[in-house]
Amino acid sequence: MSGWLPALLAGRLIRLAWLLPLAAVGLFWLVSLAPIDPVQAYVGGRTSQIGPEQREAIAAAWGLDRPAVERFASWLAGAAQGDLGRSISYNAPVAEVIARRFPASLALIGAAFVLSFALGSALGLIAGATRGRWPDRAIRAAAVVLSASPGFWVAILLIAVFAVGLGWLPACCAAPPGRLADEVSAAERWRHMILPVATLSVVGIGPLILHTRQSLIAFLESPAARHLGAHGASPLRLAFGPGLRHAVGVALTLHLAGAGELFGGSVLAEAVFAWPGLGQATVRAATGADAPLLMGIGLATLLFVFAGNLAADIAARLADPRLRGRA
Amino acid sequence: MILRALAAALVASCLLAPAAGARPLVLAVGGEPDAGFDPIMGWGHYGSPLFQSTLLRRDAELNLIGDLATEWSLSGDGRIWRVTLREDARFSDGTALTAQDVVFTYNAARDAGGLADLSALKEARALDDRAVELELTAPRITFVSRLATLGIVPAASYGPGYARAPVGSGPFRLIEWREGEQLVVEPNPHWHGGEIAFERVSFVFGSEEAGVALARTGAADVVAAPPAMADAAPTGMRVLHRETVDNRGLAFPMVPDEGRTTEAGAPIGNDVTADRAIRVAINQALDREALVALALDGHGRPAYGPADGLPWDNPEAAIPGADPEAARATLEAAGWTDADGDGVREKDGLRAAFQIVYPASDSTRQALALGAADQLRGIGVAAEPAGRSWDEIGGLMHAQAVVLGWGAHDPSEICYLHHSAYAGVDYYNPGHYANPTVDAHLEAAEAAPSFEASLAEWRAAAWDGETGYGPRGDAAWAWMVNLEHAYWASECLDLGPAQIHPHGHGFPITHDIAAWRWTCE
Repeated sequence: MSGWLPALLAGRLIRLAWLLPLAAVGLFWLVSLAPIDPVQAYVGGRTSQIGPEQREAIAAAWGLDRPAVERFASWLAGAAQGDLGRSISYNAPVAEVIARRFPASLALIGAAFVLSFALGSALGLIAGATRGRWPDRAIRAAAVVLSASPGFWVAILLIAVFAVGLGWLPACCAAPPGRLADEVSAAERWRHMILPVATLSVVGIGPLILHTRQSLIAFLESPAARHLGAHGASPLRLAFGPGLRHAVGVALTLHLAGAGELFGGSVLAEAVFAWPGLGQATVRAATGADAPLLMGIGLATLLFVFAGNLAADIAARLADPRLRGRA
Repeated sequence: MILRALAAALVASCLLAPAAGARPLVLAVGGEPDAGFDPIMGWGHYGSPLFQSTLLRRDAELNLIGDLATEWSLSGDGRIWRVTLREDARFSDGTALTAQDVVFTYNAARDAGGLADLSALKEARALDDRAVELELTAPRITFVSRLATLGIVPAASYGPGYARAPVGSGPFRLIEWREGEQLVVEPNPHWHGGEIAFERVSFVFGSEEAGVALARTGAADVVAAPPAMADAAPTGMRVLHRETVDNRGLAFPMVPDEGRTTEAGAPIGNDVTADRAIRVAINQALDREALVALALDGHGRPAYGPADGLPWDNPEAAIPGADPEAARATLEAAGWTDADGDGVREKDGLRAAFQIVYPASDSTRQALALGAADQLRGIGVAAEPAGRSWDEIGGLMHAQAVVLGWGAHDPSEICYLHHSAYAGVDYYNPGHYANPTVDAHLEAAEAAPSFEASLAEWRAAAWDGETGYGPRGDAAWAWMVNLEHAYWASECLDLGPAQIHPHGHGFPITHDIAAWRWTCE
């Protein structure tokens, strides 16, 4: 244990130190290239109510009349002191917008993460253990279909079947309409999470199943597994016994490294289910050319994905001691 | 069978679950203000401001009536509004609304750089506790629209957190706003306007699909219906079609191409559309009923001007459409003939050809552009539809015809679209239209001593018997259709008389929400 972890963390911190400023410059450059006039986006459908003088006043009040380099410099100066600026679309500090919406997204992403990992690796193990027989073929077919299905399409399908058709589950939102937050029971909250979490879980589950299956097969063909098999251990028993550590280590690394995809998928799932998280705010910031908010969300996402990758590396080293020598 | 019974039981438990007491009203009409409920930053201009009340308001016929104001008058030079406030107005925290609050709101909105355009205001002053004076920088009668849209905030408690915890003198008070998800409001016990029939009203936000799904599961009472499925209302709901001035028309370049460009380098002018005969012939030829059927599935009405049916509209300015014979005669008389027999007229070697540019992302405007081009082919005018991004349209709209949409409860839009001072400014007057007589009428309207008196000048700007921006005059636009906004409403809900709605589908329907009633209980 001692030795490899501090070295790994130090290396990653150095990487983060140059990655963050680079990402900030890149993000700002992209935002300033976007063919959207932030004042027009802010005014939106009210063009007829806002005269030219007022447009100038808006640009001046939000600093949009200054050159991009100057705006970036003042944003950077603020960010260095922990002030991420003010979002024009929400008329609130960026840190506040992110803090208010992050918990909802995290609940969705966290639940989907756990669910898809548990389900994906279990199905992968079963498929690997029953290689060539019908459970394997069915699971593989499902995995291929799922990885080829766009998230929003799955969402609409789930709503059509379970919310509209059968009426079992709510079609949207994080709580039933018409009631206050403290009038909503925990059970109802969970009920509202089912469809969005199912949608989001589907995003990453296909590759997970196939990878787990493949690494289990590699283990089952190894001399050690053949030896155990010769002593009477069934493939299923091998899969959920000694094979588990072989296969799940790989699966966990893959799954943690895919945290970014989960974040991307949540943007779509939140839009379809009217889930009040960071995904909605991302769409709003992008369509409004809201540079400070977009930068704030971009950097928060970067930290999130970075932490996911770091956790993947640590998990891989815990699962497989042979990797610990590498930083 | 068991499964079906189980499903029915689940549905029933979902429907019956809400807390006891009067039935809460649930709306899914969009319109969430991301920036919160601060009138100073622009909240409340469409639909009901919910939490705040305004000095004046517009009734179903768009007449101005008093809300906070009991009396209002404009000085002879058109620069000073004097408003007397009612005495029983209270904010939802119980404090009285005084002239100081009005003065604070108006001056703060003028300086805020938000979405409430008070650039015409010089200063607001309190004369005493009940009387306010609003001084303008210049006579501007359209400022009256601000009196009808700017909600009053309390001077004493207004601060940085106001937008997310609004206190006002309107019909409702905010109970909870879960951003991106739901707004829950309850009646303001101190409201001066009477009883409200709902103990609680919820606005569910999120996507259009989410609203449709809520309607289908019986969880919402009023839903903004997507145009494509407007007629398929779920069980227990009826379809409401609201007339609007959410209009679409062709804006023509009005000047010939003399090689001029805008500051950004976009070309200005088009020799074909600069000829009045072409523009008049297009107005004569367009079969607007057919366009309504084609582009809107019949859910709309023909448009002949920018403000059809509003008090400042002038029906005299229109010319009847769907008359290709008259259009051909107009073109022949002006010297546009098809000498080479290729189906397109020419005049002095110039082909009657131009582009109709539309935003490629908007299927309604695409259908209008294609339909109009098809109809114009019949009179020998080659209009070529071209789908572009808004960014590209900004570079094309001064030199080609563009499908644009407007429609507001405010005649200042008429001024922005047709006054030469706004030529080439943003999207206002892309065709660089300039007619000194029209300018004079528009200025006279702004300088009128009262809103009623300004109406005659707004109408004269469209057509004064000799000239105007309307089709009988310069035909600066060929208006095509007014959209119809569709809503699904519970069969148990009475929404009262309806206004003609402005541009924007959704929240405008809430304008008279305080007067809605349940009819079933």
